[in-house]
Amino acid sequence: MQTALPHVAQPVVIGVGLAYFAVIIAISVWAARRTRTASDFFVAGHGIGLIALTVASVSTSVSGFAFIGGPGLIYTVGLGAMFIVLPASVTNVMGAWVLAKRMRLLGEARGLMTVPDAIGARYRSPAAQGLAGIAMLVGIIGYMATNALAMGVVINAIFGVGIGWGIWLGMGVTLAYSVAGGILAGIYNDVFQGTLMAAASVLVFLFVLKVGGGLGEISNTILATDPKFLSPWGKMTPLAALSFFFVFGMGSLGQPQGVHKYYMLRDPMQLKWYPLLKTLGLILVLLLYFGVGVGVKAFVTNGTMAPLSAPDQATPSLLLSVTPLVLAALVFSGVAAATMSAANSFINIGAAVVMHDLPIAFGRRLRNELFWGRTATVVIAVAAAVIAQNSGTMVAFLGIFGWGLFASTLVPALAVGLNWDGATRAGAIASIATGLLVTLSLETAAYLKIFTFPSGVTASAVALVMSFLTFFFVSWLTRESAEGQIDPDVKLIMEL
Amino acid sequence: MSGPRDVTRVAARFVLVGAILAIAAGYASAFKSGGAPSWAPWLLALGIPGALGAIMVLGATRGSKGIGRLKLPFLFVFVVLASGFCLALGLPIIESAGTPLLLGLPIRAAIVIYGIGLLPIVVLPVAYALTFDTQTLSEEDIARVREVGERARAAASQSEEGK
Repeated sequence: MQTALPHVAQPVVIGVGLAYFAVIIAISVWAARRTRTASDFFVAGHGIGLIALTVASVSTSVSGFAFIGGPGLIYTVGLGAMFIVLPASVTNVMGAWVLAKRMRLLGEARGLMTVPDAIGARYRSPAAQGLAGIAMLVGIIGYMATNALAMGVVINAIFGVGIGWGIWLGMGVTLAYSVAGGILAGIYNDVFQGTLMAAASVLVFLFVLKVGGGLGEISNTILATDPKFLSPWGKMTPLAALSFFFVFGMGSLGQPQGVHKYYMLRDPMQLKWYPLLKTLGLILVLLLYFGVGVGVKAFVTNGTMAPLSAPDQATPSLLLSVTPLVLAALVFSGVAAATMSAANSFINIGAAVVMHDLPIAFGRRLRNELFWGRTATVVIAVAAAVIAQNSGTMVAFLGIFGWGLFASTLVPALAVGLNWDGATRAGAIASIATGLLVTLSLETAAYLKIFTFPSGVTASAVALVMSFLTFFFVSWLTRESAEGQIDPDVKLIMEL
Repeated sequence: MSGPRDVTRVAARFVLVGAILAIAAGYASAFKSGGAPSWAPWLLALGIPGALGAIMVLGATRGSKGIGRLKLPFLFVFVVLASGFCLALGLPIIESAGTPLLLGLPIRAAIVIYGIGLLPIVVLPVAYALTFDTQTLSEEDIARVREVGERARAAASQSEEGK
């Protein structure tokens, strides 16, 4: 996305940006005083309320892509890009039925803290837990580096400090609250950031409708010159658009930043309203994605806005040309919020893998998990910032496969495994390994242009399908061993 | 695990595997010379709702109750997703200047955006909340899990002391 944002360093924007950072620091100081144990650090002591968890979960589900890259993608390919976000109508409740109850109860029975913990408990297998941890770590490096670069670009756009300093400034602030307050600071910063994102999204959407004369008028403007833009698939093939729906729909069950949050809810009975509230929150935050993408297309068509020099200019150009400056400042802070929120979540999850899941896989437990968790947090954040600053186009490549890697490595073993007592340890390990190897090899081959996929087919989709089929096939081959691989408490949780 | 739940879960697993195979066949066909055949997206249009519906049924099934009253919401969502995709694929391309709009969008786009993107929200999360106490989780369930967890922890600590 990111090298295309214009500089908006004006007193109002800088003022709103500084106010935003001041709130982040205040929340972090408050949270740091309440973080005393590893459980506080990684799962907020299993003590987050429904509303806070919902808003935080919305916030971490939406990265800077929803505010910058997504509208730019709609502007380029039309409504086909909506297939990335349309699955939100089913994914939250699907996650609730498939994972939320069982993971929250596993937390209740065993005090689990991480997503690989659940895989380890389900299959009674440190190896499966460790392999899941390694797969997550690979995906996290990609996501983190992408978010670090996004932070650098947005902070540079707001304060004019240069992308390099922007990366370190953004990562420094995120790191400070991640190290000091762990996930507790992350959650309450996410609540603030998610509220900011929702408010900014709704306001921008309403402005677009007002300036465009309503959605019907916007559609008529586009239909006059580019009707394909408003076809259901936009300028994509149906296969490509449906692929988005599959990978982002089914793949949502393997995204650790969302799944991990099920452990944190204070009272499991509050899960009742979680999917409804989260879905409504997501719809609000995603209004900007649709509104800006379609609105900018109409405004460029009728001459209200100049043609864009790059698709990622869609949101900033619209903000600077049709909305009040203070709203532009809010949205830029919202984008910074989205990237920092996602980064914090991934730092925390990555640190848990390093200090908790990998030692378990090697048959060891660290004594002071809180200390090592904080240390791992610093190492991961610094590594991501260094990668973001030095690896150029490689960062975009790393970001692309993050979602697909989580999906193909975790969905069958975790989501199906927690709901099918016939799934076996061998099936889970084979499926995780297949997802990891297929995603890495196909994405690398595509990045290096060794291999070109046919239109509509992506490495993520192929890896997810292969991981599913491997999981079922190997579990069937080793079905004799299935019954003896589930502990009584896990079995009870699977039966409820 | 026995009783009606097995039937529901076995059926859901068969549908899930069948749907994933349909999706795989759709992708595989795209590798033919000349690109994906016209039937390839139809496999995904039916396979994706089948896969998402089946995994939801797997997750929602409990005890001897199967999926109980959730049959209707699940059927509704499968029909909405499958018919939305199939209508978008099968309806004639009519988008042009002056084409009639439905809630501000051309008909096929409106079916996708409002039908697939919004209709399930009206049904699924509400069905989840309304059936939560009977179908998903109760205070008794939590108490049972805590009890079994405590027993497991006690057994584990005894085993550690024995070493």
